[in-house]
Amino acid sequence: MNMIVGGAVNIGMVLVLAPFFQGVLRKVTARIQSRQGPPVKQPYLDLLKLLGKEDIESGEAPVLQRFAAYLPLAVLLTVACLVPMGFQAPLNGSGDAILLVLLLTLCGICTLLAGLASGSTYSLIGINREMMCMMTLEPLFAVAIVMGAIQKGSLRLDEVLSGAVYGPTGFALSGIAMLVIMLLAFQAFVGRAPFDISEAETEIMEGALIEYSGPKLALFHYAGMAKLVVYSALFVSLFLPWGSQLPLPVSFVLFWAKVLVMVLLVTTVAATHARYRIDQAIRYFAIMLVVSLVTLAAASYGF
Amino acid sequence: MAISKKIQQLKDKFGPAIQQVDIPGDNRLIIYIDPASVKPICQYLFRDMNGRYVISIGCDDRPYSGKFQVLHNFAFDPDKILCSIISRLSGDKPKIDSISGIIPGANWAEREIKDMFGIEPVGHPYPKRLVLPDGWPEGHHPLRKDVPWNEVPEGFDETREFSFDETPEGCTVVPFGPFHPTLDEPEHFRLYVDGEFVRGCEYRGFMVHRGLEKLSETVLGYNDVPMMAERVCGICGCVHSVAYCQAVEAGAGIQVPARAEYMRTIMLEIERLHSHPMWVGLACHLVGFDTLFMQAWRIREPIMWLAEKITGNRKTYGLSLVGGVRWDLTPELKAETRSVLDKLESEWIAVVSAVSKDKNIMARTRGVGIADKSLCKEMGLVGPVARAAGVDIDCRRDHPYAAYDKLDFKVIISDTADVWGRLIVRMNEVFESIKIIRQALDKMPEGPLMAEITEELPAGRLGMTSVEAPRGESHHIVITGDDNRPRRWRVRAPTYQNLQGIPAMIKDQRLADMQISLGGIDPCMSCTDRMETIDIRTGAKKVWTKAELLSLSRVNKG
Repeated sequence: MNMIVGGAVNIGMVLVLAPFFQGVLRKVTARIQSRQGPPVKQPYLDLLKLLGKEDIESGEAPVLQRFAAYLPLAVLLTVACLVPMGFQAPLNGSGDAILLVLLLTLCGICTLLAGLASGSTYSLIGINREMMCMMTLEPLFAVAIVMGAIQKGSLRLDEVLSGAVYGPTGFALSGIAMLVIMLLAFQAFVGRAPFDISEAETEIMEGALIEYSGPKLALFHYAGMAKLVVYSALFVSLFLPWGSQLPLPVSFVLFWAKVLVMVLLVTTVAATHARYRIDQAIRYFAIMLVVSLVTLAAASYGF
Repeated sequence: MAISKKIQQLKDKFGPAIQQVDIPGDNRLIIYIDPASVKPICQYLFRDMNGRYVISIGCDDRPYSGKFQVLHNFAFDPDKILCSIISRLSGDKPKIDSISGIIPGANWAEREIKDMFGIEPVGHPYPKRLVLPDGWPEGHHPLRKDVPWNEVPEGFDETREFSFDETPEGCTVVPFGPFHPTLDEPEHFRLYVDGEFVRGCEYRGFMVHRGLEKLSETVLGYNDVPMMAERVCGICGCVHSVAYCQAVEAGAGIQVPARAEYMRTIMLEIERLHSHPMWVGLACHLVGFDTLFMQAWRIREPIMWLAEKITGNRKTYGLSLVGGVRWDLTPELKAETRSVLDKLESEWIAVVSAVSKDKNIMARTRGVGIADKSLCKEMGLVGPVARAAGVDIDCRRDHPYAAYDKLDFKVIISDTADVWGRLIVRMNEVFESIKIIRQALDKMPEGPLMAEITEELPAGRLGMTSVEAPRGESHHIVITGDDNRPRRWRVRAPTYQNLQGIPAMIKDQRLADMQISLGGIDPCMSCTDRMETIDIRTGAKKVWTKAELLSLSRVNKG
């Protein structure tokens, strides 16, 4: 019973708040650029508009396109049920840290499916870039989760996702190092500037999403917004868990306040940087990955 | 004197091939030559005398002299001379030796002459159709005098398609345009891509060719043309209208009053002030830095309002007529101009410092779109593209017009030859423009705005002028005519030459850099509409069939 209520709350919160955070992102970006910006409720209106359009199927493999459209949002909402959002995760015990890593990778693969199913030159170039980014980037989250597992000595999600990286003392050097690394790479996980390469509008016309329109495009956009929320939630529970032991209403509000702070951080970085070229981005991720592996080794030796 | 030395040099070398020499003005040289010697003479001018190639022009002079003419224009920038080598050709299917083999920058110009006049460039390395649409029948050449301006030729084949060259081995085709988020105007770049690297490029343009030159000879009058010239370009209209008027004034010997010269100078610099910040913003947008894009355009906006207050319009000023200008500056407008310039200068300093220190932008523009000095010479590249490579040319100083010879300004040069260099050059030219306008406001004399023209302009005179547009040298020639209209008007916009350098600039670069390289020349397709091709063979593994390639490059599916 608790699981169903908790699941409904988590899924509901993500679905309701994802467009809101996107709206905040757009408004703050506009203010940084000295302009008005759209109202904060604009993403809701955009999604509604797209959902009301005719569902045209263009592209090489429409069946695969349909599948690729539903998948990312579904995966993200599942991950949302595995993450404690102010209270114990509703699906706690249903899976461990490895499941989480696999689900996150699955989410990334959805874009690849989408691009392949479209079959256009631009989408193929787009997923080419996405693949390269994924290969060097996704392992980073895995390393962070594994570090938490090592520190706690368990792969259980409720143990890992409670600031486990900081070790028994709560101040492990490796944990703090990992925090910094993840902060530096966070922009790439949520696909915002300077790492929004695979959807570079001015370069390859939306890349993987080029053959999507109407309701399916709405699902992709929704998934993109949800990604920001879910990854922020993951980050908060991995690295900023303080206060989650407080009684329920407080911890709930505190959690979402922390997520808002992450969103504002992403916004500011996105507004003040130019987009990286693919080879420059890969180099950046590779360096991060090497450093994180060194940190992981340090963690396993107790630092 | 420099001109007589040059004439003597040519006469010594080529003797009787030099048929006739005209010196219509202090710095203008017109030489009629024997068409059989056109190649060695042009080679001598280009290589040994170090002339800069400007443009080649065709002209149908049969109603007057019974012959076609082909003009090859060169510039001797250090000596401030513009020179035209004219070959007169008889017959209805004239031929002339192509100079594109020795001067690669003449490639498009000769193809245009062939399309428009039917003058065959013998030995041209790539004689493919350039200007005329694909379905246009052979043998019908629009700029000939016996072809009416509104004739739709028989045998126009709507279904005929452009035949692209063979794709190099191992390359995928990435079509770029005519509709693409980066490009504001339609053109088609067919990129041959090997993974992320561009190996070759074919361009098909001229989709916005409007036949302005034909209209100027047939239905417009001398003072209608400036209004149309302004609409040649979506950004640098003033440049074209002033250049046309100056060409007519040079040919017909009209002296423009001093106040009008200063007015033209001020409005030309105001145009540069709206063009360069716009480009800086666009360049930032192309590399994904939207914040700087928004800020640059916000800073630029007061210039647009100022232009509207002075001329009634944000961009299409309606400024020039043959003999003078139409708008004047009141003391209030002068004061307002000064305050707008002050504000712009202080905000622009902030932008320059933000851009110069931004590692992201540097990483995206350094070493990208390289066009070194030798490419600039071969292809006749002009403007910030050339100045970023260290080529010291600027028409305001080298071929002074309007009031520039009375004003003091620097020519901004860089030496990196890449998009970063062009960014630096354009940003700093903003400060020079502000300086020029301030001096012009101080020095502007009172007086009439328009020359008194009491008789019909003499016909058959050739006038040439080079004006420094924001994108580079805009070169116009006019041959004055009867009936209150020119006999021939040729617009050579800077992008015409700069686009020809693009295939070399993007070769072996990443696809991601293609857009910023193209943006780096600040292309203005409405001024231009032309193209060139390069094929490079690679040794990569994947091979696409012709059917697959065709289906990839076609936008509509099922």
